[in-house]
Amino acid sequence: MLNLIRRFVGNFKEYVLFVVLSVISLSILSANEKPQAKHLKTFAIASFAVLNQLANSFTSIFQPNPSVEELKAENARLMLELNKLRQYGLENEELRSMISFKDTSKFPLVPAKVISKLVAKTEGNFIINVGANEQIQKGMPVITSQGLVGIASEVSGNFTLVKTLTNSMLSIAVTIQRINVQGILNYDGTNLIIKNVPTTYDVQIGDRVETSDFSSLFPPSVPVGVIQKKESNVYGLLHNLVIKPFADIAAVNNVFVIKVVPSKEINNLEMNLMK
Amino acid sequence: MLNNYLKPVLYFIPLAVIQLVLVPLISIDNVAPNFILILVVYYTLRNGQIFGMLLGFGLGFIFDLISGGLLGAFMFSFTISAFVTGFFYNENKFDTNLASYFFLVILFVSSFVCLFIFGSISNSSTNIGFLFLIVEEGILPAIYTTLFGIPLVVFSSKKGLQ
Repeated sequence: MLNLIRRFVGNFKEYVLFVVLSVISLSILSANEKPQAKHLKTFAIASFAVLNQLANSFTSIFQPNPSVEELKAENARLMLELNKLRQYGLENEELRSMISFKDTSKFPLVPAKVISKLVAKTEGNFIINVGANEQIQKGMPVITSQGLVGIASEVSGNFTLVKTLTNSMLSIAVTIQRINVQGILNYDGTNLIIKNVPTTYDVQIGDRVETSDFSSLFPPSVPVGVIQKKESNVYGLLHNLVIKPFADIAAVNNVFVIKVVPSKEINNLEMNLMK
Repeated sequence: MLNNYLKPVLYFIPLAVIQLVLVPLISIDNVAPNFILILVVYYTLRNGQIFGMLLGFGLGFIFDLISGGLLGAFMFSFTISAFVTGFFYNENKFDTNLASYFFLVILFVSSFVCLFIFGSISNSSTNIGFLFLIVEEGILPAIYTTLFGIPLVVFSSKKGLQ
């Protein structure tokens, strides 16, 4: 019997090895969420990101930087906007305090640079050059000046792995700003989608979408995108809303991490949305 | 034998840096070439199916770890890719396989298999259609990867392209 097995393995060693390696790979694939796997990944990312950072400092020479003139124009535009917002702010302050609204602008921002990206259709993630040494924690939101980019999913000493909006494993509680309708935002491989919004709501193309007050994972009112398309399903009773993100996720190079310290208890529950 | 394994691993390090830092700059709508795959295909054609599968398995594991992607996805797809490439391995046709246009055909087939499987695994939680997977996750990145195999054919062939 042993001889027979030995002969079989000898004759079909390529196939046997293929089956063994495939089974091991698939087992590892199913163990992705285990803490040991996560620790190993964090350690590997931190070790290799040093090389990526070196290479990135070289390539960043060739990346376009906004010119001084562009920055001046932007500065002037922002100054005008600031004046307008200051007026609104004064009007709003009292109302906000009355409903204990969380003020997102008070959260400190940590600037960071993207040092490497994994190019994949639904596995959008990148590594940034700040980590636990800058008090970055798992679950902190990552933004650009345009809007939300993603969330810190693994943190090592000097580096953080960020899951972007274009990662199908990330679900975000959002609000359609104009009509205050809540929904869950997901990436389906091609578009960001809020599924199953009843057609009775007056949703319009161009409505702004921002993070929801109900989310403890993200601070409220961080801009996410605008509604680009409405798709009806279930005999016209429900809508799937296609969202165009404000931030150009594919082209992003410089980001900010919002140093919001979420409630640990709620955060642990909500991190379940990040499978 | 150890040298056989050491060499591709040494080549892997700069290629992984290129894959994570430079490739995003040349990707078109998330369609990007895979340099690690070229390495796996090349060494499978040089050293055989078993060598290739072990190499693909190992390099896939390391790449999964350092890229922050789904652990096991590249590992599985590189292993399958090396298994497929291994059928083209022939000691007597070593030069024909590596230094001719035939290498590009093999590279395209292996890339398609590898990237299609990788796409299927990473899209398992989404409702992406089969045709989308074939074209966007398989054929397009396979063509892009194959383009980057051309310099390898040129350098491998002492006489240039045959």
